[in-house]
Amino acid sequence: MDANTLIFGSISLISLAIFFYLGRFRASSKQRNREDRIDWSSRKFSLWKIFLYSLVAVGGIVLLTQFV
Amino acid sequence: MSNHKALNMFGRSGNPSLNDQTFSNSTKDATFSAQSPASTMTLEGTVNKTGILLVLVVISAFYTWSEFFATGNPASVMPLAIGGAVVGFILALVTIFKKQWSGTTAPLYAIAEGLFLGAISAIFEAQYPGIVIQAVGLTLGTLASLLFLYKTGIIKPTENFRLMVTSATMGIAMLYLVSMLMNIFGSGGIGFIHSNGLFGIGFSLFVVGIAALNLVLDFDFIEQGSEMGAPKYMEWFGAFSLMVTLIWLYLEMLRLLAKLRSR
Repeated sequence: MDANTLIFGSISLISLAIFFYLGRFRASSKQRNREDRIDWSSRKFSLWKIFLYSLVAVGGIVLLTQFV
Repeated sequence: MSNHKALNMFGRSGNPSLNDQTFSNSTKDATFSAQSPASTMTLEGTVNKTGILLVLVVISAFYTWSEFFATGNPASVMPLAIGGAVVGFILALVTIFKKQWSGTTAPLYAIAEGLFLGAISAIFEAQYPGIVIQAVGLTLGTLASLLFLYKTGIIKPTENFRLMVTSATMGIAMLYLVSMLMNIFGSGGIGFIHSNGLFGIGFSLFVVGIAALNLVLDFDFIEQGSEMGAPKYMEWFGAFSLMVTLIWLYLEMLRLLAKLRSR
């Protein structure tokens, strides 16, 4: 087994162990008791706004390519 | 929900399966307060189901992976890879619109995507030996790190965070879609997306970052679902959402590493 497999294999196994252990616990109260939490049952921004933002992002990236 | 090309159709989360109706639709099915804990969504149940989906992805990926290395011919696994991607995409759409079916469609999605991932990974591995274990390690490392940051409250997803991640994800989906259409019509696509130059690598880093931030939205969705006592099938749906983001993140890691190695 080479060093690459050993290092990244270990990272994979440790990360999976962390995910399966930590995933079972609730988030800290600092995370849960906030006024500005996402409300998954309602919409705060219109789809148009998101579409516009994403167009701006695409336009920005394309413009950037012209100068790089 | 996958491959983030259909994002613009599905609401506001960066992850297309997580939209405004996700909880409101599920609440129509049952009165949460009247349900017993055994019939409601839990964190443990979602984590277990994510584990099941991961195992299914690995098993089916192993099949196309070993098929590729047995023959050494990419053409031998291409029908399975393309079939897996198409079937996976259809199953993802079904899962998004029929969340109640998640218990059946999410495992089938994992198997279909596994066939695709196994073939793609094998092709990359043949070209750049050792790249797959690096991509797997970095993807799972990102998952664990962001879960820790979320659970401890260091990263706090807000509505503005959701807006930014969703918009960036939609922008990326649009770029990929335009590039794909340009390829189909023979104009070569958008060059910098696939280039191994500085800008191409920067773009890949940006995409990896956005894919990783989608994980935070997934964690918050699952956390709130279990707090609100969503129906049991939402455990499968939460696991499915996480799996879609993980698969996207893995593919982007693979592309980024390939660009770095090809320089």
